Amino acid sequence: MRSTRETPDRVPLSAVMWAALTIGLAPSCKPGLSAPMGSEHGDDAPPHRGGILHLAEIGNVRNLDPAGSVDGVSLQPVHLIFAGLVDFDEHAKIVPDLAESWDVRDQGRTYRFVLRPGTVMHDGQELTAEDVKRSAERALHPSAPNPSASLFDGIVGFDAFTAGQAAHIEGVGVEGRYVVRFELKDPDATFLALVAMSALRPVCKTGGWRSSDAWIPCGAGPFRLQPGGWARGTSLRLVRHEAYFRPGLPLLDGVEWTFNMQVLAQRFRFEAGDLDLVRDLSQADERRFSADPRWVPFGQADADTTVYGESMNTRMPPFDNIEVRRAVASGINREHYRLLKPASITVMTQLIPPGIPGFDPSVEGQHYDYGVALEHMRKAGYPYDPVSGHGGWPLPIEYPLYDQGLPVFTAQLLQQDLAKIGLRIELKLVSWEAFIALQERPSGAALSLGNWAMDYPDPSSFFDPLFTTRAIGPEGGHNTAFYSNPQFDDLVSQAHRERRENQRRALYARANAILCDEAPWAFTFSHHFYTLRQPYVRGGVIHPVWRMDATKTWLDRAGRSLEQVLGRGLP
Amino acid sequence: MNLARRLATALVVICAVVSLAFAVEELLPGDPARMAAGVQARPADVAHIREQLGLDRPPLERYAKFWARLIHLAPRGRESVDHASCAVVAAVGDRELHLDLGKSFQLRQPVVDLLAARLPRTATLAAAGLFVQLLIGVAFGTLAAVRRGSWADRLLVSTSVLGVSIPTFVIALVLQLVFARELRWLPLDGYGETWTEHARSLVLPALTLGIYGAAFYTRLVRDEMIVLLQSDWVRTAHAKGLPPRRVVVVHALRNALGLIVTAVGLDFGALMGGAIVTETVFRWPGLGDLSLHATRNRDGPVVCGCLLVTSIAVVLANVLVDLSYPRIDPRARASSR
Amino acid sequence: MLAARKSRLFRNPSARAGALVVATLVAFAIFGPTLSRHGPNDSDFVHGLSLDKAPVGPCALFPLGADRLCRDVLARLSWGARLSLLIACAATFVSATLGAVVGVVSGWLEGARVRTPWPALLGVFGGVIALGLGKPLAACLAFAAGCAGTFVARSGGLRIDIDGALMRLVDVLLAFPFLLLLMAIGAALERTTVLTLLLTLGVTGWLGIARLLRARTMQVRALEYVEASRALGQSTPGILLNHVLPNVLGPLVVASTFLLAQMIVADSILSYLGVGLSPPAPTWGRMLLEGQDEYLTAPWLVIAPGAAILLSVWGFNLLGEGFRDALDPRNA
Repeated sequence: MRSTRETPDRVPLSAVMWAALTIGLAPSCKPGLSAPMGSEHGDDAPPHRGGILHLAEIGNVRNLDPAGSVDGVSLQPVHLIFAGLVDFDEHAKIVPDLAESWDVRDQGRTYRFVLRPGTVMHDGQELTAEDVKRSAERALHPSAPNPSASLFDGIVGFDAFTAGQAAHIEGVGVEGRYVVRFELKDPDATFLALVAMSALRPVCKTGGWRSSDAWIPCGAGPFRLQPGGWARGTSLRLVRHEAYFRPGLPLLDGVEWTFNMQVLAQRFRFEAGDLDLVRDLSQADERRFSADPRWVPFGQADADTTVYGESMNTRMPPFDNIEVRRAVASGINREHYRLLKPASITVMTQLIPPGIPGFDPSVEGQHYDYGVALEHMRKAGYPYDPVSGHGGWPLPIEYPLYDQGLPVFTAQLLQQDLAKIGLRIELKLVSWEAFIALQERPSGAALSLGNWAMDYPDPSSFFDPLFTTRAIGPEGGHNTAFYSNPQFDDLVSQAHRERRENQRRALYARANAILCDEAPWAFTFSHHFYTLRQPYVRGGVIHPVWRMDATKTWLDRAGRSLEQVLGRGLP
Repeated sequence: MNLARRLATALVVICAVVSLAFAVEELLPGDPARMAAGVQARPADVAHIREQLGLDRPPLERYAKFWARLIHLAPRGRESVDHASCAVVAAVGDRELHLDLGKSFQLRQPVVDLLAARLPRTATLAAAGLFVQLLIGVAFGTLAAVRRGSWADRLLVSTSVLGVSIPTFVIALVLQLVFARELRWLPLDGYGETWTEHARSLVLPALTLGIYGAAFYTRLVRDEMIVLLQSDWVRTAHAKGLPPRRVVVVHALRNALGLIVTAVGLDFGALMGGAIVTETVFRWPGLGDLSLHATRNRDGPVVCGCLLVTSIAVVLANVLVDLSYPRIDPRARASSR
Repeated sequence: MLAARKSRLFRNPSARAGALVVATLVAFAIFGPTLSRHGPNDSDFVHGLSLDKAPVGPCALFPLGADRLCRDVLARLSWGARLSLLIACAATFVSATLGAVVGVVSGWLEGARVRTPWPALLGVFGGVIALGLGKPLAACLAFAAGCAGTFVARSGGLRIDIDGALMRLVDVLLAFPFLLLLMAIGAALERTTVLTLLLTLGVTGWLGIARLLRARTMQVRALEYVEASRALGQSTPGILLNHVLPNVLGPLVVASTFLLAQMIVADSILSYLGVGLSPPAPTWGRMLLEGQDEYLTAPWLVIAPGAAILLSVWGFNLLGEGFRDALDPRNA
């Protein structure tokens, strides 16, 4: 029978459904961690060939050409596709790769590399010195979209070549079929590291003399890209290069990446066995995995190769006052920052991160001391009384912030810490590009987040671009503190040329001490990834420079059991 | 005449949207060359890349060039560098008609290729979402209208109020958690490689879009049907002894079609814009995902390309709805204009 | 008739329930912040950490648990209520006003080519260009000058199909994906304050209301007694006030209530996408964003703001339902 009421009473029913929804979702919370999927054989089993390594990334690979922009994500496949004259081993030491030997002459101005004969590239052709020269000029040519080209301006003839005045780089020479010679304007202690970088890695003859966007990447590395193996924005699959110059390697049939995968999805897939390695973990997951005794043997922290800090613009008040900067450096409680992601964050008190050669753990650097911070504020002329809340710097300071990951949280912690020494900061959420624009203008931002990752594992990769006077440019530069100290500049340029290891360290130690004292940045922390692998991933896979190196990796995994197929694992 | 006028207006609207997009891209702060070069690029290299991307030219020159190159005639064969980013639309005599939207700053691929790859996927998602919305909405709405006042009616209307109250990303996350993670019936995210995988990956995103819209359509259909079921001619049909189901479906529902079609038209346009949140949560490689990253990374050519596609979809949908309205709704035929 | 409508409203269960939920929300927003022990932005690393160095769950000191920075979720939720309500109400007001003006003007002038005086044209044109160049103050001056000039010089000008122009504008704005437009505006304004946020939401939310009121105005215009009034020579403002306004007020109120609910959702989506208010402002969308990765281990971080959003949106939707049922002439 139809009711005479027109408007049905929807209220109590909605309330019931709400309750049901909430109660229904509750049991799905707090599940336990799945168990690791064991190896098929024991620990001393010999390696065997076969299998595909599955990886995922939150980001996306945009480019696989050494002559283009190679960022942190694309670095992993690029160094597998392209081998270089030299490479970094798992201890970040330079070792021979395509070049079987090299010698240095002329007080460090000339480097001669002798190539291995009979190295076959992915297109079947043999690698010659001519290929090395061609690849170098291809990557450094003005038409190449290479954002790291200026790192190589120490090569003789570089300026004429990039200005279009010369057809070739004078300083890159070929002596016979297998010898390449590089001539530098000045001795450069970092040149071998530069040669190991992706830009100078040889490309096949199909790459030609100039880069083009339609080229299928082809090099001399352990893995190669098949046509159709790269579905841009979705996945990338590399397969074994059968004629790789190291016999017996690589052991894997291939490596496959999936892109734009969210953190939660990666974790679910890892537990189901679809992913063999996971690096992008949320804070809570990291805490649980690193505390679970079943998983601890299979988790590994990368080396710390990044530095985060608060960059204080030395040209804008109040940070033109050195005592205020010293107060900030002493006023930040770095332990709280570490609590955000304890397995990934290392507290830093100086410029050189722990993973870079030259790091000295005995250096005390900047550290948290509330009393000292207040004392510095008093010396600066802005005494602050924590009890009454009076004093300090009278104006609010704007702090631009981009919304991505940790900086959002550290900024809020910074706000609380600085309020306690009398500096009020206001967070201003801006887009990524606006943030960069602000940071690099001389009067854009008084205080902002400074962060830098290494270009190569050497202290000069940090000192040169961040704090030298030369790095201050008219329209942008990475010296966001606009710090200029002639004594510091001298030390750093000497160290750049000094090839004796001990003297070099001493120079950088002195430069480091100046930075810690004058505090253009308040160094706060370094971030590394905590990588989890399934136990059947053997042979080592974490690399300190390239993040991941699958050349010697192998999989000890029979086929999937029914449980693994269902994805449940053992409880 | 009407059609021609409508199409002309549509064209004007599309041009206005794309120009607006171009202007917005210009006025936004930040440097696309810097974004393309990467964070750690030195200033000299950034300047270099700016030149390569043509961003050192004045904005008006770039604007003029954009329209000049948008549709142009060219000699056959796409091998020349000049036409590397063009798509061939048709052959005209011994030349070809090219469509050129430039190259993405970030991905360095022709924008037309990117759009051609992603458009079908967004269209599929939009169609699937629309299908779910209509299926659920019309069914529930009709049911609620027919059994007005009963417990079924109350339940359905309560559900619809709930449905419009939940933001899309919450629905997406809940569905993912329940069906993909806990029950493992469906894939977590992504697009899949085979046709079966495509179909299975489509279910959750389509449901997400569908649930939100279904609630809306349920209400719409229910209200309209109630009015129609009370009208004179329906009562006459009952009196004549026609079976109730036939009355409902054939007579009442058919008359509600006009309103439904109008709503669908508007909806389809919005869905084609790319359901950004849904595509992000489910990693669905469509236009919404592309435009979100392009906007964040200041990738001007891609943003303009996406907006071109969206505006065409919206405008075409409106035109089609306007034209089909008289055919569907007999009452509208009677009115002039 | 008004009294009959009012009594229907009070008896309507939807309206009553909706009013109850909304009243609770408002009370929570007003009194919640003063009643909580912690500030919304104060980290408590002493009491807020559990034994395994993770933020605590719901307990005596933190009724809804602590977030990643060891701040009290309940305190943040109540401050967030203030922000959400303020932004949503203000944005709805802006949208409703703008939508009503455009809708009524459009509907009334539909089909006619109206002679627009030059000062008005120049004022609008100049104002839009000023807005495009990012100078809102200059834009306001231009619009004001246009208005003033129109009063002074009424003759001359072009015959323009104002309705057509306005509806094309609506089409263009509708063709722009909502989220992209919001992000573009957010990025352009460089910083997001409460003011810019509600302007952004307000300026993009008026389209539906404009279309709705245009249709209604056209209906009213076609009514016989209105035509009679016009024939008798009653002035346009008089007709608008006496006949059009009472008839569009109903749909306007209903649409505004639903729009308010949508504004709350839009605000949370903006915060979720990272283009809302700057941290540490505790908007609900931001709390969802910061808590979503921890959902499996700390579900309270997501459930609290999620439930708050749902409840408030649901409440306003119910209220809107109640208004609609009470004010719908079909129920009369």
